Amino acid sequence: MLWWVGIFIAALLWVLPLGFVVITSLKDEADILGTSLFSLPSVPDWGNYLEALETGGLMRSAGNSLLVSMIKVPLGLLVSASAAFALARIRFQYSGVVLAVIAFGAMVPVQVALAPLFQIMLATDLLNNPLGLILPYIGFGLPYQVFILYGFFRQIPAELDESAVMDGASNARLFFQIILPLARPALAALFILDFVATWNEFGIALVVLQQQESWTVPLAVQGFQSQFTTSYGPINAFTLMSIVPVLIVYLMFQRYFIRGAFAGAVKG
Amino acid sequence: MSSVPAMHTVQTRPRRRAPRLRAALPFLAPALLAYVAFVVFPMAESIRLSFFEWSGFVGAEQTFVGLANYVRLFTQDAVFWTAFGNSVIWVALSLVIPMPISLTLAVALDRRLPGRALFRTVFYVPGVLAAIAVANMWRWIYNPRYGVSEGLAQALGLERLQGIQWLGNADIALFAVFVAFVWQAVGTNMVLFLAGLQAVPPELSEAAELDGAGAWQRFWNVTLPSLRPTMVVVVVLTFIGSIKVFDLIVGMTGGGPAQQTQVLALWSYQQSFTNHQYGVGNAVAVVLLVLTAAVVVPYMFWTARRER
Repeated sequence: MLWWVGIFIAALLWVLPLGFVVITSLKDEADILGTSLFSLPSVPDWGNYLEALETGGLMRSAGNSLLVSMIKVPLGLLVSASAAFALARIRFQYSGVVLAVIAFGAMVPVQVALAPLFQIMLATDLLNNPLGLILPYIGFGLPYQVFILYGFFRQIPAELDESAVMDGASNARLFFQIILPLARPALAALFILDFVATWNEFGIALVVLQQQESWTVPLAVQGFQSQFTTSYGPINAFTLMSIVPVLIVYLMFQRYFIRGAFAGAVKG
Repeated sequence: MSSVPAMHTVQTRPRRRAPRLRAALPFLAPALLAYVAFVVFPMAESIRLSFFEWSGFVGAEQTFVGLANYVRLFTQDAVFWTAFGNSVIWVALSLVIPMPISLTLAVALDRRLPGRALFRTVFYVPGVLAAIAVANMWRWIYNPRYGVSEGLAQALGLERLQGIQWLGNADIALFAVFVAFVWQAVGTNMVLFLAGLQAVPPELSEAAELDGAGAWQRFWNVTLPSLRPTMVVVVVLTFIGSIKVFDLIVGMTGGGPAQQTQVLALWSYQQSFTNHQYGVGNAVAVVLLVLTAAVVVPYMFWTARRER
């Protein structure tokens, strides 16, 4: 009982910030300036949401984010899975070294590479281009995914591919028809994790996307915030709308999400 | 790389192995290509550029200046030391504050409490939000006139806490931003600890109970030691996450007021892109890289040895 009360109070504390953002997003200017913080809006004012949508270019940036995510996430996973397959199932001479070098990338702060990344995209004319995001996202997404999938692939019994190879299956067949389907739970988890990470990414996008038309959602959020500093209602509405897709994805797939996030991280 | 020749001598059948690399290459190539082009090359380029003076503009000359950027950074750039100090403070606080909270929550939510799933979600959800959105939420909370902090201070009659410029006061801004970080980071670590707790064999705790150990003793002598591998992972992830804090600071203070919330990751960005000092900006990046490697490389060796 004591535990429950403690957790309940802590949970209340944790919900509080989000709760106030929701309430504020529904208040008009007069309500915000004139009434107590804790009072509910006199009339729910959905105008803030409309205003945020119209002036913030939220739909356009959501479109950009969706485009980047929908290409990057499946493509990145395929690239990672095939690399993990090569490292875990084919196992050539220096596979351990290659794995270690790739795993090291998971630890590198992306800021270390920002300035050169900008120069690469400038030189290849990929600034303000979705591809200019997708390519580095694939590179930086690899280490973690390869690492997790490598662990997963290693657990699959070797007899399985031996018998497949005996039956004359090529490596490609083995990968696509046996290993990949077996890895479906891990792939599903990584898909969701990567979708969220891609949707939320800010640093690389800040450098590569200079024009407002090409902004992804986090840039639009930051842009709206700095442009309309005193429009509290719309700012809060904008923030809320920006997190809705991620919230939906999380709530729908939380089972996979949590299992996948840490499948490889913690071994008993 | 010194271990490579040793591995080669162990290799007894090189002639059979050679075709296997050829078999692996088609599967490996796309990943290696992306990884080298967008992670390894930029990193190497950062190191190279840190020895040059350059504005970053196309056509502008890159002049080799040796260690001059580093000398300048360490001796003349006061902001660098502020950023360095803040990054150290940030890492230290991250290891001390959110972790015990996460562990406590995990232990509590490992029990069969009513509403357990909902509680877990409540603590975990901030972790999936974009840091930039979290920054926006907390800017509103800290708004000195209409924000939550002000509202609470007034409602509770705490006059000393009224009218505080949480993000505008150089002495407290960093810690105010850190509170938002705690709010976001606790849930992720909690889930890691929950996963770790699942791996603690219940028989151990039961045996200790039969021996008359109290709840606290059981936690201290059975649960905590069993959580050691998890603890190492959490410490390393916390370190990696906190040394590169960027979005939250950009979204809440931009490094201000008067550079007092500056951190290494942001200072590197601003030197390169705002001040057009690519050499210095990349030198900051290299410092960041060295700090990360100093912690992460030993950890990687440690896990590699454990795997065997």
